[in-house]
Amino acid sequence: MRHQMLCQPAATALRFELDQGESITCEVGAMIAMSSGLTVETTSKSKGGSGGIIKGLKRMFSGESFFLNHFTAQQPSQSLLIGPTMLGDCVHHTMRGGTMIVQGSSWLASTPGIDIDTTWQGFTSAIFSGESMFWVKCSGSGQLYLSSYGAIHCVEVNGDYTIDTGHIVAFEDSLKFNIGKASRSLIGSFLGGEGLVCKFHGQGKLYYQSHTLPSLGSLLGPKLKAK
Amino acid sequence: MTSSLQYEIQLRPDFSLLKVSLDQGQKVYAEPSAMAAMSPNLKLKAGFKGGALKSLGRLMGGESMIVNTFSAENGPGEVLFAPGHLGDTQHYRLTGGSLYLQRGAYMANSEGVEISGKWQGAKGFFSGEGLVLLKASGTGDVFFNSYGAILEIDVTGDYIVDTGYIVAFEDTLQYNVSVLPGLRGGGIKRLFFSGEGLVCRFSGQGKVWVQTRYVIPFLSWVDSFRPRKDK
Repeated sequence: MRHQMLCQPAATALRFELDQGESITCEVGAMIAMSSGLTVETTSKSKGGSGGIIKGLKRMFSGESFFLNHFTAQQPSQSLLIGPTMLGDCVHHTMRGGTMIVQGSSWLASTPGIDIDTTWQGFTSAIFSGESMFWVKCSGSGQLYLSSYGAIHCVEVNGDYTIDTGHIVAFEDSLKFNIGKASRSLIGSFLGGEGLVCKFHGQGKLYYQSHTLPSLGSLLGPKLKAK
Repeated sequence: MTSSLQYEIQLRPDFSLLKVSLDQGQKVYAEPSAMAAMSPNLKLKAGFKGGALKSLGRLMGGESMIVNTFSAENGPGEVLFAPGHLGDTQHYRLTGGSLYLQRGAYMANSEGVEISGKWQGAKGFFSGEGLVLLKASGTGDVFFNSYGAILEIDVTGDYIVDTGYIVAFEDTLQYNVSVLPGLRGGGIKRLFFSGEGLVCRFSGQGKVWVQTRYVIPFLSWVDSFRPRKDK
């Protein structure tokens, strides 16, 4: 399987070239177009893996859809075009074992070797991060595709790194984190508009996005007609 | 005989801006409110182009009944058009054939091109995108825009596109609206849970242009931020 990122960075789409028998699991609704030799299977579990209804329900809480779409090539050299809902970039991460924690809505697609589950990030981090309480936990090996709202950056954390909670896209679980104040005093951090930040420590990859969806939503929401 | 327009599409694909340079006497037609800037010697005339029936057809195709005409008087001039939302602009040269445009995709055209609504029948009804597509035919230039970037797909044989992502396609292609292959056996339940809705299966030889984002899912996301009415 080969992939290609198109039209980066604001309206990125992904093109996959699949050979006969190869398959890829995508977020529901992500397909733009595809060749006619691909079939789609909608399930609530990872391809050939465990899962079922409980994992499906957990995924729903994480901001992902209950169901996953598996695209499988029935003929040689098939192509598939997918794109996320929001304007923004996509990134590809190669997993060789280990676990990646992905923000609820950023998971876009992955190859069959990756198991998709959700994880509980603890009560405080959920409330204060402004993000969904559940995160998507991807483990195994293969290719993982993530989407962001805005541009996406990757840092190799070695030691300490501080990031605004809303900007996190994904991180390797070799990184430990705790939620803290941005400035020394609590009032100062809220007045500064930064709220709470995530302080990572350890070694691993961290992906973050330039913009956050909750701030777009709170900007647009009040301007819309009440329903 | 229609001469082709001199044009340039700048800032692609995210903030595309179409610049058209007109010789004296030359005209370009565009949808209302697409104009961003123009030379002072250009004359703008708004009107129902092609009579009542054609205008009604455009209305049914998701466009305005009014078409603005820009003509260069007393020397050459230029005009800039921008789409209403973030996205790309694409040029297509018509040479006697026809191009179908999705609702709202039309932006501008040169002389010699006729824009009309084309009844799609049951196909249109099931695609969820409206019963009427816009049809551009004749000889000349046509410009259309998208939400997100535009990708060109050369179809030889069969290709499947989600109905929401179609921007335009050549009329040499046949199409029919169906559910995704593999979902067919699963019945109606599968269709709804897959989230992919209905797809258009193109066959034959020709080009299809797709957009990389779809505005409807974005709108339903924004909707969740709408304030609630006080009871």
